[in-house]
Amino acid sequence: MKLCVPGDKLCSSEDCIPGTGVYLRHGYIYSSLAGYVLRKNEGEELPVISVVRETETQLLPDVGAIVTCKVTSINPRFAKVHILYVGSTPLKDRFRGTIRKEDVRATEKDKVETYKSFRPGDIVLAKVISLGDVQSNYLLTTAENELGVVVAHSEAGAQMVPISWCEMQCPLTHSKEFRKVARVQPEYLQA
Amino acid sequence: MTNSPCPHPDNKPFSGQPEKEKTWGGKRFRAGPVAWVIYFNMPTDTKRVRGPEVSQSPSLFSCDPAAVLPSKGPRADGRRRDQVDVRPVFVRCGLVSQAKGSAYLEAGNTKLMCCVYGPRETDRKDETDMKCGRLTTDMRFAPFSCPERGSWIQGSQDKDFSLMLHESLQPAICLHKYPRSQIEVSVMVLENSGSVLAHAVTCASLALADAGIEMYDLVLGCSMRQDGTSYVVDPSYMEENGCSSVSCENQGGLTVAFLPSLNQISGLQSDGDMTEETLTAGVRTCIEGCYKLYPVIQRALTKAVRKAAPSQSES
Amino acid sequence: MARVQVSEAEKVYILHGIRDDLRVDGRGCEDYRHMEIETDVVSNTDGSAKVTLGHTAVLVGVKAEIGKPRPTVPTEGYLEFFVDCSANATPEFEGRGGEELGTELSNTLYKVFNNKRSIDLKSLCICAGEHCWVLYVDVLLLQCDGNLYDAISVAIKAALFNTKIPKVHISSDDEGGKEIELSDDPYDCMRLNVENVPCIVTLCKVGHRHVVDATLQEKACSVASLIISVTHKGTITCMRKVGGGSLDPESIFEMTEAGKRVGKALHAPLMKLLEQEESLGKKRQKVYTCFPGLPLVSPQPPREESGAK
Repeated sequence: MKLCVPGDKLCSSEDCIPGTGVYLRHGYIYSSLAGYVLRKNEGEELPVISVVRETETQLLPDVGAIVTCKVTSINPRFAKVHILYVGSTPLKDRFRGTIRKEDVRATEKDKVETYKSFRPGDIVLAKVISLGDVQSNYLLTTAENELGVVVAHSEAGAQMVPISWCEMQCPLTHSKEFRKVARVQPEYLQA
Repeated sequence: MTNSPCPHPDNKPFSGQPEKEKTWGGKRFRAGPVAWVIYFNMPTDTKRVRGPEVSQSPSLFSCDPAAVLPSKGPRADGRRRDQVDVRPVFVRCGLVSQAKGSAYLEAGNTKLMCCVYGPRETDRKDETDMKCGRLTTDMRFAPFSCPERGSWIQGSQDKDFSLMLHESLQPAICLHKYPRSQIEVSVMVLENSGSVLAHAVTCASLALADAGIEMYDLVLGCSMRQDGTSYVVDPSYMEENGCSSVSCENQGGLTVAFLPSLNQISGLQSDGDMTEETLTAGVRTCIEGCYKLYPVIQRALTKAVRKAAPSQSES
Repeated sequence: MARVQVSEAEKVYILHGIRDDLRVDGRGCEDYRHMEIETDVVSNTDGSAKVTLGHTAVLVGVKAEIGKPRPTVPTEGYLEFFVDCSANATPEFEGRGGEELGTELSNTLYKVFNNKRSIDLKSLCICAGEHCWVLYVDVLLLQCDGNLYDAISVAIKAALFNTKIPKVHISSDDEGGKEIELSDDPYDCMRLNVENVPCIVTLCKVGHRHVVDATLQEKACSVASLIISVTHKGTITCMRKVGGGSLDPESIFEMTEAGKRVGKALHAPLMKLLEQEESLGKKRQKVYTCFPGLPLVSPQPPREESGAK
């Protein structure tokens, strides 16, 4: 396989479609990474050319991406989280996000109470809705059935079992706690 | 210090019996070699350096400061004058495992290393960060890197180098691919033997490529020094700082950072006093010097990629 | 630096204008804005000058102090530069906000003066290895409206021209010690030769052309600029690229050539103006105008003394 370094001219844009790790300039495709040149035919007329590295290049949370995060703190208006995964790729560095009260669920937004939805330490599946502005971090939402708390621990310290879309139960004490529970899709479980 | 604890060599030979006693710092000590023992046992303020406030390197006095360098004939290290004769460069990627990417570069006795961290969340925020990422650069000299001892605290010269490094690297990085995040580049100069900035640029771009940061092109640096009618490429520390015998006509230094495949100059800095023609010719010379480095850097980078993923090369 | 927001349409307008050698304020690509120079503005300094260029205003004060020469060059005095970006120039400079720009500017000034010809440093030596004059050049930004470098360099040249260093007399006493005697007469002073002091020309690359003395709007349209400090002979003491973009070698050569031409032309009217103002002495009316390429504007009627009320 061919190796390339940033700035190497790979081919004309008439021969290939630019994929990842490349950029287009004056009708030619150049490499923007040091790695292996990969040509893939994806049913289209032209092959897609991209440059890949041994390790997954650093992903950043983007709008629309499903992220896995850990709740760090809650207050009546929003929950603060740390983003741990983008899709199935772990992040090397920590990125902070915010789930606002009105983004917790899709219905009855005005009746949401954050402490009945999340608790610090919960693992939450969420979707990025905005990269945020100067003051705020990434804005996330859990307003979908598939999004919400996936792992939570009860006050007794046991991992709780979801019993409805808004409740989880402790297997030890059988006490119920409120959460915005995610209906985890089987394909996410594999990931 | 009026009563120094230092025994004078002309004191009476050590006989085990001290000649007289003095008090110093509230403690008794004896003149003569025994005094040293007491001196070291004293509760001293370890943070205070017991020396004069201003000190100078003895090298200033040992050799003539205005060491005149010959402006003709071969250079001290055997390279040719008026030729694009750069020092052979040794480069390696990935020496710091904790960093996202790193590189080490050696050119003659100039040794420096660079680490790249990120992209990570920015600590400082303003509007520009929303659309594209931020590059932060930090260049430091180890205190022992120059003939005179430097300080660990970043001086204004180091800040200037950091800024030049930033300006040279920024055009090459696809910062729009890293919104809301920052990429940190730090260069540590271990030994300064001239042309530090030029080599720092090369080393940093190699570390960025090693980190997998998307870049439009590699950045290569080269510097030259004009001395009257002759010039030297990739000057050593002596050539950079020594003054020549000829008058100060047309003298100066130039550093260029160059993107070889895009044919763009991303960094340029000159000082001294040169004519426009000399400067133009100097820029061309430096570009030529950058092209000499290009294959070496390419090879080092492909080697690093191959080392990281040997299995892929067979597929 | 103070930033302005420029919309895409404005950008296109500015770019197309510059392509046709016509700028938004009616200037050609190599013309400066209206420049005003005033020297001897702060009485507590040894030399001072205020320069306004468009709406950019800088104030430079030079203070001479007796210090110890650097051990590497015992027979020379030296210059120290400090640029203060105060919060009245723009609120962004408040606190430590202007520090970065200040260091950048002062570092560039050190580079500009890092040669043996700009200022005769040997004349600043009082007693080799022991005493020398240290000139503290303090630059204060009063208003930012683009092109700080050029305004600062002109102001420094004017302030150095204006600088009067008191004459000192060294007498040795009986024990071989030396005594420095300062002259009592305020007119018994040393002047600096500022003929070789360079002026900085900043060229902004906008589109495929480059402009001199860019306004903030034009600066927002440019990817990179080139700072060139030019002496009256046309030699270049410092050149550096600033800004986030890169330039291709050919345009750098073009810009160097243009910078040299513009910079060289700046010196003669500036020196003439400084000498003219000097000759008027204390009773002169202070504000003079300088617009390179145009004849000097005659002095305006005297300002009304506010203290006369």
